[in-house]
Parts: sequence; structure tokens; C-alpha cells
Amino acid sequence: MVEYYQPTTLKEALEIRVSKNVVPYAGGTDLMIEGNENTTYLFLNKVCELCRIYEDSGYVHIGATATYEKILSSDIVPQILKESVSQIAAPAIRNLGTMGGNIGNGSAKADTALVCFAVDAKLVLASVNGTRIVNIDEFYLGRKKLDLAENELITEILIPKDNLSNYCYSKVGARNALAISRVSFAGVLILKDGNISNISCAFGAVADTVLRYKDVEKMLIGKTIEEASALKQDFLSEYATRIVPIKGRVSIEYRKAVCLNLLTDFLTKNDI
Amino acid sequence: MIFILNGKETSYTGNPSARLLDVLRDEFRLTGVKCGCKEGECGACSVIMNGLLVNSCMVAMGTVSGCTITTIEGYRETSRYKVLDKAFSSVSAVQCGFCIPGMVLAAECILAKNPHPTEDEIRIGISGNLCRCTGYNAIVNAIAIAAKEGNGIW
Repeated sequence: MVEYYQPTTLKEALEIRVSKNVVPYAGGTDLMIEGNENTTYLFLNKVCELCRIYEDSGYVHIGATATYEKILSSDIVPQILKESVSQIAAPAIRNLGTMGGNIGNGSAKADTALVCFAVDAKLVLASVNGTRIVNIDEFYLGRKKLDLAENELITEILIPKDNLSNYCYSKVGARNALAISRVSFAGVLILKDGNISNISCAFGAVADTVLRYKDVEKMLIGKTIEEASALKQDFLSEYATRIVPIKGRVSIEYRKAVCLNLLTDFLTKNDI
Repeated sequence: MIFILNGKETSYTGNPSARLLDVLRDEFRLTGVKCGCKEGECGACSVIMNGLLVNSCMVAMGTVSGCTITTIEGYRETSRYKVLDKAFSSVSAVQCGFCIPGMVLAAECILAKNPHPTEDEIRIGISGNLCRCTGYNAIVNAIAIAAKEGNGIW
């Protein structure tokens, strides 16, 4: 008989995680595709501490098991994340699926992971030994490889509250609903006193992890829109060199062309 | 584990890792819940869980404990169903019928949240329910008619 665990507190969940051979189950919408009936799940749907959405002075804290629907109905979640979540799958999946599961599944196609990269989100990881906070780009080590120990659970996603107002999010899929991203892009550009103070350009579903090149972004930091426009071709060429897509459902050439088109659109929308 | 299935308290002692879809069909013989894809892509297995539309293929039985589940067999006993039934019939929104149990439950969830949805809201509400026969327009019309004819019951 297959066992299961359904704790009601995080403490209890972490004790089970360290002592039993279990697969953490948040919304189930990725796990149940395989739907292995011999898996022992650690069901997290009754752990209230994990599904809260709240804020402090710097971050919106999204509980790992807060559903997409809950994220969409929250007043405090930044719009860039809501825009991404609103395009995930369809209502029935958004009623179950969670950001913790989307990230924990480890796919570079995870739409919320892309936003996390673009906004420099952090993850809170907990174990019986305590908690640690990791930057999203350090959490993804490679294809389906995560900096998540066997005894740890993702408990929260920390989304910075400031400097996200001017963003661009684009998802290219085969259709509007129920589509896996073929290429996705999230960008943020913030001007302070006429100069670019913050720019991020992140590409999803292209390689083993989300791609973002902070050293290339620096080309435009501190520049005015006019100065940035003069650097546009150099900037685009750098991405054309750096982005090396892997072959998936679509060709390498297609993926690369779409990446550069989405980046160009983002710059053009900002008059660059 | 105990849950409410179509209004009746129900117990389940089988595999907690089994899919709700399979248990509803094979153990409880609720075959109005259709199996299309088993990967959350088609909506044929849609049921209402705690008031929300879910794909029953995406739900492990362990999470069902304490929940309220409504399938088309339970929903068809309601006055809301009768409004949707009449509306779907009036515009021939049903052809082969395979998607219809899920589609009707999706319609219920649209109208429960918003009794007077726009066409866009209806289309988003059924965006996870695939229909290979109708081209959707008749279904969208049917839900709009139900919203109008059923004024006050949602």
C-alpha cells in the first residue's frame, strides 16, 4: 500500500521531508502528468504557512503553495508577475498550480521562473536545520538541477516591490491557452533622472536555464535613451553572440530569431 | 479519507497517489467525467472541487480529503444545470458530446464567479476545455444565453 503524508504545519512537513522518501506535492499539475501511482507524496495543501501572500518593506512574499489564482487575485503582487501567471495554461490549472511547484520542477520553460530572473527574485528554502535565502539565478544550476537539498522545501518566493513598473512580458506559444512557451521574454527598464538605472532582459524556454546576462545589461546602465539608442546595434549583437538555444519542439534558428525580435521590441517600446 | 461527492459524504480507502479521475470513473462509476489526455490539456475530466474548476486527472486522491467534489452527475440535479441544458440545446452547442460535461462545469464556474460575463470572459473561462466539433462559437453563445435566461440564479 502506498503511503502518503499530509502535514498541517511547516515544522511537521520538514520533519517528514528529512526522514521519509517523499516527493513534495504542491499543486500537482506537473507531477500528475506522470502520475506515478507508486510515488509517496508529501501533500502540502494543508500547510497554511506555505500559501500566504504578504509583504514587508522590500519584498512581496509569495508562499510556495499559493495557487496561481490566488496570486492573480492578490492586490500586492507586482503586475509583471500577474501578467505571466495570467497566461499560464487555463483556469482549471491556475486553480491548482503554484509558483513553488513551477520553480521546483526545474524547467527553463517555467513562466514564473522567467519573471523571477528578470526581477532578481530570491527563494526561501527551509529544512529542519533552519532557513536560507538564495538568489534565483544561483538556484538553477542546470537543466532540472537545483540548489535544493534532499531535506529542503521551497517555502517562499521573494519578489522585490520597487522598480518593476516599466516592464515587458512576452510569451510565444503555439496558441493562447494551454501552451508551453516556445520562447518567452521578460524585461524591466527603469529611468531615474533621464538615465537608465536598471535594465534586465531575461529569456525563457531557450536553454537549460533562463538566460540573463547582467554584464551585457551594464552597457546601458547610466545611459540616456539617446545614448542607449546609439548602442542598440552593439547591444543586440552581443545577445546574438551569447544566446545559444538548445533544440526542442522548435528549431534553434527559430528560437534565436524570436529572442532577438522580442528583445528588439522591448527596446523599441522604450524608444531605444 | 472522507470527502463530499455530489452532496454525499463518501469514504475512500484506496491509493492516495491515484488520480481523482480514475477513482471517479472506476470506483464510483461516474463516467460523465471523461478521460481525454491525462495531462491537464483538454478539460474533458473537469470537476468542481471546493467551488473551483479543476482537471480531475491532475488531482491525487490524497489532496481530496475534506474537499467537496461535484461532477456532472451531481450538477445535473440543480436548477442551474437546467438553464445551461436548455441554452446548450437551443443553439445546438452539443455535437459529439465528449467535452460537454467538462464544458458545462466550466460554464457553471464562469457564471458562479460572474453572472453576467462578457464574451471575452466566457472564452477565457472555457479556454482549458477543448472541443473538436463545434468551433466554440455555439458554446460561447449558449453560455451567454444561460447568463441571460438564468438571470438571478447565479
